[in-house]
Amino acid sequence: MPAKPLASPYAGIIPILTIALVVIAAFSIRFGAVAIDFNEIASAVAKGWSAPDSLDLVERIFVEIRLPRALACIFVGASLAMGGVLMQALFRNPIVEPGLVGTSSGAAFGASLYFVLGAVLKFHAGPWTLPIAACLGGGAATACVFLISETAAVNRESTTGLLLIGIAVNALFLSGVGFLSYIARDPQARSITFWSLGTLSGANWRAVLVLGIATTVGLVIALRYARQLNALMMGEDEALYLGVHVGRLKLAIIAVNVMIVAVATSITGIISFVGLIVPHLLRLMRGSDNRFLLIGSVFLGAILLTLADIVARLVLKPAELPIGIVTSAVGAPVFIMLLRSRRYRF
Amino acid sequence: MNRYLPIASLTLMLFGCRFKNEDRREHQQRIVCLSKQYSEILYALGAERDLVAVDLSSTYPPEIKSLPTVGYHRALSAEGIASVKPTLILHDNNVGPEHVMRQLEELKIPMKVFDAKGVDIPTAKELVSEMGRYFHREARAESLNQKLDLDMGKAFARTHAYSTKPKVLVIHFGRAMNTYLTITRASTAGKMIEWAGGQIPIPGERGMIQLSPEVIASADPDVILLTDFGYDRLGSPEQVTTLPGVDTTRAAKKRRIHRVEEHDLVYIGPRTGENVLKLQELIHAGEATR
Amino acid sequence: MQVDGPKIRQGGTRMLCVDQVTHRAGKKPLVDRVSANFESGQLNLVIGPNGAGKSTLIKLLSGQLRAEAGTIAYDSMDVRSMTYRELAKIRAVLSQNIEISFPLRVWEVVMMGRYPHFVGRPGAADERACEEVMRFFDVSDMADRDYLTLSGGEKQRVHFARVLAQIWFSVSGKSRYLFLDEPLTFLDIYYQFEFMGKLQELLKVGDLVVVGVVHDLNLAARFADSILLLHQGKVLACGSKAEVLTRENIQTAFRLEPALLRTDDGTMHLVFE
Repeated sequence: MPAKPLASPYAGIIPILTIALVVIAAFSIRFGAVAIDFNEIASAVAKGWSAPDSLDLVERIFVEIRLPRALACIFVGASLAMGGVLMQALFRNPIVEPGLVGTSSGAAFGASLYFVLGAVLKFHAGPWTLPIAACLGGGAATACVFLISETAAVNRESTTGLLLIGIAVNALFLSGVGFLSYIARDPQARSITFWSLGTLSGANWRAVLVLGIATTVGLVIALRYARQLNALMMGEDEALYLGVHVGRLKLAIIAVNVMIVAVATSITGIISFVGLIVPHLLRLMRGSDNRFLLIGSVFLGAILLTLADIVARLVLKPAELPIGIVTSAVGAPVFIMLLRSRRYRF
Repeated sequence: MNRYLPIASLTLMLFGCRFKNEDRREHQQRIVCLSKQYSEILYALGAERDLVAVDLSSTYPPEIKSLPTVGYHRALSAEGIASVKPTLILHDNNVGPEHVMRQLEELKIPMKVFDAKGVDIPTAKELVSEMGRYFHREARAESLNQKLDLDMGKAFARTHAYSTKPKVLVIHFGRAMNTYLTITRASTAGKMIEWAGGQIPIPGERGMIQLSPEVIASADPDVILLTDFGYDRLGSPEQVTTLPGVDTTRAAKKRRIHRVEEHDLVYIGPRTGENVLKLQELIHAGEATR
Repeated sequence: MQVDGPKIRQGGTRMLCVDQVTHRAGKKPLVDRVSANFESGQLNLVIGPNGAGKSTLIKLLSGQLRAEAGTIAYDSMDVRSMTYRELAKIRAVLSQNIEISFPLRVWEVVMMGRYPHFVGRPGAADERACEEVMRFFDVSDMADRDYLTLSGGEKQRVHFARVLAQIWFSVSGKSRYLFLDEPLTFLDIYYQFEFMGKLQELLKVGDLVVVGVVHDLNLAARFADSILLLHQGKVLACGSKAEVLTRENIQTAFRLEPALLRTDDGTMHLVFE
């Protein structure tokens, strides 16, 4: 049997996912509480560049709200899904997602601190302040999980121990968020609580810029480590025998994960299950090669989150359902199916 | 209240079937009102013709429920509001999430907040006058304010006639997981109770606070007022008296448990005078005047 | 004798030299001043009771652990002077039980063995190595199957293939090193014998140094060319089967006295009652 080069069995999926993404993104910018047809979209784009002041209400809705939201959805979906791939590779366990190892809750805590104390502290870095605060929070929480697991009496190879520590750290940081929302004065409180269920409604062009940069940088760095992550699938020892510097790999992967997930969380709040479902679906499609998973997760994560956002925006029109509810409603049953599946071993 | 926001907003959304309402009238202006206080005053002034949509908590007067709604006032969506094509948005700075307001500004939809804050009787009268001027209904505004003064005058007079100041607890029950959300002295309802001649034994900075059954029991109020949502869920005063913490109170023993409409208590408006009088009767029922 | 490749030592055999290697866990030495020379082209097996330090020794030899004292030299190159990447090109380690939690095709697992040798896409040499090694270990038919659906023995054979793929070709004429850490535990006796047989075939090339830890004394008695008996971290005996597998040595190390039997073909068997 000739050994096939790693590219070929995966080659068919990516073009399909790209087409699906384009179709669904088109759907997403077309439909919403306000119906915008393609003529209006075209004129909005044309005028938006040349004469932004001449836009009418519908066109302005498209340019200021609908379009940035669609792009933010793509980047956030991609980030969360990539985070899922990275964390599952790192912990060698398919029921892990960035939320479970503290990144999302830490980011939420960092962002909440910024909302509540931001006026008090003089520190400001423009539109980057919130993502930075979230990254610091997410980094702190993930570092807690990582350091405790490395120094505790927990067997280093034990993913169960790591997950339990993650659960504990999550609880700690989420209670911090809860406390902050409890003591917060209006209007900050309105921001925190609404956002803890996850929503794309805060997306604007600045957010899209920050997200775009974080996601792209994250993808580029992660792809460099894709093969090492493959080796890690067999265990830290085996990866070492294959020449992988395991300590450095872990740090790099955790850093990338914190960056992309914290930045996304700082803008949308906590959205669960995307990082869990997407890698699982991709593995069902083709397999577990991490290079494929990373690239595929960018597309599939974007697709799924855009679909969820469409549902969130249309089901209770003109009000919006928090997107975290949609992803949980779909994600939880998939999670249960995963647990019951014989395909994986835990 | 903040913690219950997600749950409250969901519950309201699911039960607020007013999302499907459509508005087929002709309008010169298209006004969206995001404050229940303003909504009531609009109708009282007779200026509701150009109102096209309101927030979920605008529930008075009853005819307002036939209008489409754009959602809970703390969980709004810019696109959702824009979809009713408003020419003017009225709000009282009590709306969220914050970015929605920014987005509406970017969409260049005119927004108005009235200067008068309407948190006590004088400012409420100013608010009615201001809105009266804005909608060219000055005469009506004047008569509403006179009625308010008259009713409040009656209420104060009677308050001095009563010899006791009963302890009153106003409880939102069952909004979230059978908790007792109790109104404090600092809130609007608290003030109304004071005007009606009662006292609220619960201090606090916020309008509402969650209390445990023990605190309810130790407060031992003479009268308990349950808002409509919780009362209707339980069904009858007998059911209310069985609740933990409530069952040992004087109010439960003397069966002095009454139903009140939430929207009568949470803001000051043209009907506040009437409402205070009604409260007085509930609180001082059976008492002799001097 | 093999004379391919650069002459490393007198006589042309390649060697793994271990000199006074010590490694501690806390106060207790796991490996205590162990010295040995493992030659290429022969099957070197390490035996000893539980806790004797066998696993630690293999980890030291493979470069996974750094010895606190002493040196380990691959053909006079100090292990410590090589990076993980360089090491990975010339030495491979076969472990007991490798758990993979994700679905992978068999050929993907085997191809991972070639990772140290290519960046980006695998080259023609890598594909050839995988092909040959899968045929050698009789897993070619399973190449497209999901690893998780295999039996324990089949999985272990896939790992044999992967590990050997890693050192299928020698790099720059250097020796190749293969370390085995009790790899036969989950195999039934047929496959145990088969694997040992394959090892002996591989050893014929001459530039391969094999050091393996086995539990089963009779396997050692049958297949080993040289044996190192470890006891409490120290070398108790080292040399040929006859030299090491004596009643006294076994008694000291394993606290049980064996009966030594010889079958007609000359193989020694240890029997414990």
